[in-house]
Amino acid sequence: MKNLKLKKGLVALTSAALVTAFAVAIPSVARADEPTCSDTGFIDGAKFVAFQKCTGADGNGSKYEIRMPAKFNGTLYVYSHGIRYNVNLPAIPVVSPKGSLIDYSPEVAPSETVAEALLSQGYALAGSGATSQGWNLSEGVDAALQVMQIAREKYSKVSKVITWGSSLGGLTAQALAEQYSGAVDAVAPLCIADSAQAEITMAGDFLWGLKTFFNPAIKGSNYSAGSAGYVEMLTDLGTVLTTLGALQAAIAANPVAPAWPASTTVPATLQAIPVRSAILLLGLISGISTQSNTYDASSGPAGALETSFGLAISPALAVLENGAQAAILAVIANYDMEVRAGGVVFDNSATDYSARLGDDGDIYAAALTGKTATAGMLAYLSKFNPAAPRVTGSPDAIANLKSMYQLKGQIEVPTITLAATADHITPPGAAQYLINQYNNSVTNLTASAGKLVSIWNKPPDGYTTFSAAGSPVAPTVTTNGTGHCNYTTSQVLAVAKLAANAAKTGKAPSTSAVKAAIKNEPNLFVDPSYKPALLKYNQ
Amino acid sequence: MKRFSIVSAVVAAGAMVLSIMPAQAADPGVTATEIKLGVSTPLTGSAGLAYGKVPGAMKAYFDYINANGGVYGRKIKLVVRDDKYLPTLAATQTTNLILKDNVFALVGALGTATHTKAYAAAALAAKNVPDLFVNTGFSGFGNTTKFPTTFTVLPSYAMEAKIMSKFIKEKFAGQAVALVAQDDEFGVDGVNGFKAGGLTIASTTLYPTSSITDARAKALLTGLSAIPGKPVVVLFGTTDVTALIFKAAESLNLVSKFTWIAGSVGGDANTLLALGVKSTTIDGAIAASFFPDAKDTSDEYVSQFMKINEKYNKGVSFDNIVLQGMNSAMLTVQALRAAGKNLTRTGLINAVQDKGATFASAGRVPLNYSATSHIGYNGYWFGQLNANGELKPYGGTLSIFTTDSAAGAVEASTFTRPAMPKNGIPTNS
Repeated sequence: MKNLKLKKGLVALTSAALVTAFAVAIPSVARADEPTCSDTGFIDGAKFVAFQKCTGADGNGSKYEIRMPAKFNGTLYVYSHGIRYNVNLPAIPVVSPKGSLIDYSPEVAPSETVAEALLSQGYALAGSGATSQGWNLSEGVDAALQVMQIAREKYSKVSKVITWGSSLGGLTAQALAEQYSGAVDAVAPLCIADSAQAEITMAGDFLWGLKTFFNPAIKGSNYSAGSAGYVEMLTDLGTVLTTLGALQAAIAANPVAPAWPASTTVPATLQAIPVRSAILLLGLISGISTQSNTYDASSGPAGALETSFGLAISPALAVLENGAQAAILAVIANYDMEVRAGGVVFDNSATDYSARLGDDGDIYAAALTGKTATAGMLAYLSKFNPAAPRVTGSPDAIANLKSMYQLKGQIEVPTITLAATADHITPPGAAQYLINQYNNSVTNLTASAGKLVSIWNKPPDGYTTFSAAGSPVAPTVTTNGTGHCNYTTSQVLAVAKLAANAAKTGKAPSTSAVKAAIKNEPNLFVDPSYKPALLKYNQ
Repeated sequence: MKRFSIVSAVVAAGAMVLSIMPAQAADPGVTATEIKLGVSTPLTGSAGLAYGKVPGAMKAYFDYINANGGVYGRKIKLVVRDDKYLPTLAATQTTNLILKDNVFALVGALGTATHTKAYAAAALAAKNVPDLFVNTGFSGFGNTTKFPTTFTVLPSYAMEAKIMSKFIKEKFAGQAVALVAQDDEFGVDGVNGFKAGGLTIASTTLYPTSSITDARAKALLTGLSAIPGKPVVVLFGTTDVTALIFKAAESLNLVSKFTWIAGSVGGDANTLLALGVKSTTIDGAIAASFFPDAKDTSDEYVSQFMKINEKYNKGVSFDNIVLQGMNSAMLTVQALRAAGKNLTRTGLINAVQDKGATFASAGRVPLNYSATSHIGYNGYWFGQLNANGELKPYGGTLSIFTTDSAAGAVEASTFTRPAMPKNGIPTNS
């Protein structure tokens, strides 16, 4: 590996110390082709925003895009997108209705609206689409570094760089900043993902629970090599969708005491428990939010179910709604990780699901149909029950997974995170993990104090609506604070603006400054004391 | 010289003003003129029917105190948010109280599942928010490591079960005992207490909250009616379930088959009558209590609170729930006074720990606050309801018993309640 020194980029840096820090070892790569650029623009209100759009492929062949506004203010945002399927998919309802190919296209911002807003304000944008998709943390970091270098070389006026990203891209941005001290001036991880092992544990626990409780035909892990494994993965998607559909139909038919699906093999005594309680239990032990796009775990229809719906039914329906997406992603991501790591990466051979439940067993006692029912369900999930075989991972594959970069919290530049309290793919505990790592680093004197600010996105106080007949109505727009990386444009721009200011000053904004910045965002809050639960893997 | 004197006089006057005015505290929710408190509690929904009067009663007492000078010149403002007795909503509302309403302390929250979730979600421990006089008997809140700022007001359910065990063994020896309890931390706390109390239980039925229907209640009683003799049925749940079971007994003509004992949570006669239970059904039923009966106008606390209720809580009938709310409000005022003029969250927590056991209170049993105990009352007495819904001491004599939530003995108490402060206005420091 040869050191690659970023010559032109260094010219733009004003701090000698930063120059020294930036001349760090960067992975050597083949020379990127010269970008292809064209002048373009868009209308923003009454003004025309002109910018130069440059595209190309970096030294690894990853496609990139740079947008440089004519009226550049000196700050460049380098964006890393979230996880994408690393397999081509045929037409599958819900998952890929029209079928899909692996997407290698670059993204420069969380949305086109955000991109235009930032360009309009004079910020330059850049982003890549790595040649390897799926859980591509190291490839993503490399691609982001390269497009950053290319932009610096082409545009000498770049004086400040902010790295940001969504989900896995948020993790990528943070990993980049930690590994390449001095390369960036601020970081803004949005809906940051936790480590691969933490994420796959959450998804894997839920998937294993679906299999164990409701349908043993779900494979869930240990996919075969080659095309056979690909077929198994596709088959699993179908089985999971069928199972989730059966659960949904059962609850729709009888919300109070829904029956278990026909595919279940659990004993009749367990099936006497309303299946909604089993769904909720799976959500609680795997760490999936009990609030979802449709269900707030509080509201109920007028009439007899007004209180009990919010108490006992809504949390289960929320887990089902969230879990459907989580389970689908779990199948595809787990397959990808197994291929990538060379074996089974999920392992629950020693998991104590009773301990995982913790206080939630008391909090949701009513929704779980009481402590006796809860104990019965947990006993069935016990590792001592031969009818519920556990998954033992491949030590080598797990070691490969863990060999990926793990966040250390060694934060040297202002870092602003945004995480939603009811994100079901990257729960807020992922951002909390970064906070914990950072606090440890500050204590160990490996990071400077006062560099990390966390902003949280919560759902409205109550948002489930009901039809005149008392049925819950799915919102036409995904409820803010729920869903994955489901932020409004103004919320993202508020964070982007804070990051830009921080990049200039070198200081993270104070709590009061953040409060002022988000005062018009009713679903955002900043609270240094707020401490969401970590993902189960990290508890 | 003359100029110097004027300046000195101004400084001296300023100092006098400052010494009279309460010092500004750094904690949120306190100004020179106001203390902002908050409560998340059910106002609507099924639990709201039973316990919805609590915050109104608290507010009425605070209004009364405010009309009489407040606490060291500060008026108390109570912000009330409805959580419908739902854990997620309680977490939301408690967070709102802290982050949006900027309250100084919480007082009078209600419920175990609700408050467990709310406590963590609103980061009350990290913020050092005093969490006073929570209406739950879950002994888990006595864990001062997990809930360092929480002080419950009810005796623990384990204490209640232990004391009830002694009562049943002494008064109903030879009668089979059937326990009907919620299948959650409330009921489990009780089951553990009955075990610790050494009570032999012939039949235990644990039911999930919100799962009891008229049909299930009838099936349950039909089964229990097969027990020979006159079994003691202990109802260890909320009032709505007690009412369902009583009404099922009426329907099955089984009221007289059993000796009924209701726990303190589910034995409020007014609520039972309001929920449609016949007065003849509750007549003779036994209930546990740590308060005087709200109909006992000879009780100085009851009579004073009734006067306050009449003026500051117009149109709301006085009952055990109102009594409970006003009592918690009076404890709060004493805690605020004990914390001193320079009011801080730490000072308030320390005040309850250090002096809470001496506060004047309507309770007929001792308060037990200390640095190591954050559970309030630690005892019970047993009474028998009459057709008017009055709870009279069982056997005609008030007998108080105290214990702890663990393996400590149940002991007869000679506790003498502190006198009601003059006009119901505390003057402690």
